[in-house]
Amino acid sequence: MTRTGPQVSTPTDTTIVMAREFRAPRRLVWDAMTRPDLMRKWLFSPPGWAMTRCEGDVRVGGSYRWEWSDGENDPALSIHGEYTEVRPPERLVHTETMEMSRCGPCGTLVAALDLEEAGGVTRMRMTLTFETREARDGALKSGMEQGMEAGYRTLDAQLAARV
Amino acid sequence: MIRRLAGGERNLTSLAGPLRMTFPAASKHVRVLERAGLVTRRISGREHLCRLRAAPLGEAARWTEQFRAHWEERFRAMDGVLEEMKAAEEDTQGERRRAGGRRG
Repeated sequence: MTRTGPQVSTPTDTTIVMAREFRAPRRLVWDAMTRPDLMRKWLFSPPGWAMTRCEGDVRVGGSYRWEWSDGENDPALSIHGEYTEVRPPERLVHTETMEMSRCGPCGTLVAALDLEEAGGVTRMRMTLTFETREARDGALKSGMEQGMEAGYRTLDAQLAARV
Repeated sequence: MIRRLAGGERNLTSLAGPLRMTFPAASKHVRVLERAGLVTRRISGREHLCRLRAAPLGEAARWTEQFRAHWEERFRAMDGVLEEMKAAEEDTQGERRRAGGRRG
């Protein structure tokens, strides 16, 4: 069974859109993406980091907070915001403010999650809307830094197998 | 090895040591990376100095690709969570059927 990664596109200067399919009914995908006990299992960060707080009140006007420790700072990273649209199991919109111990607040974005189900497969579309193009590019870059870690580990393993 | 090179130019001995590799093994590893266009090597005296090459992709494409890779790692973990949830549901349904059978 092969699965491709999420399709990432930048349809405008201030947005990032991610699309991906999950082989599960939509109500399960909704739960996995909204229930703190389940989110903890996949919303991890770089190696050596641990999620230390994951709580949320999933209703319009409800707030949430996710925090990670890097072993030295707790939190080293915190993401918090408010739910502005909650329509289980098809649409969820929330604001998102990220703060890092090293650089303080990194701006606010709006994340909209849309789920469609067909034949037991759920198609997810996540639209991140930033305040400015610079903020959008900054988010892509931060993903790059964290992604580099994972990518390099994989690449090292592949190369080791070829040598 | 690439992670160590991300910190800047290094000689082969300092790359090989912490990875518990012999010099020839590290040299071979670097050769593969050179062929893939990821690393360049220059020889200065007896030292082999290696550095990462700027990625061949455009910068924006590189950001997008790494952003994708970062999220894909999370979504793969989420696939696992969904499989567990599906299995748990099937178990519960199976138990109900069995309990129903006993009652009937």
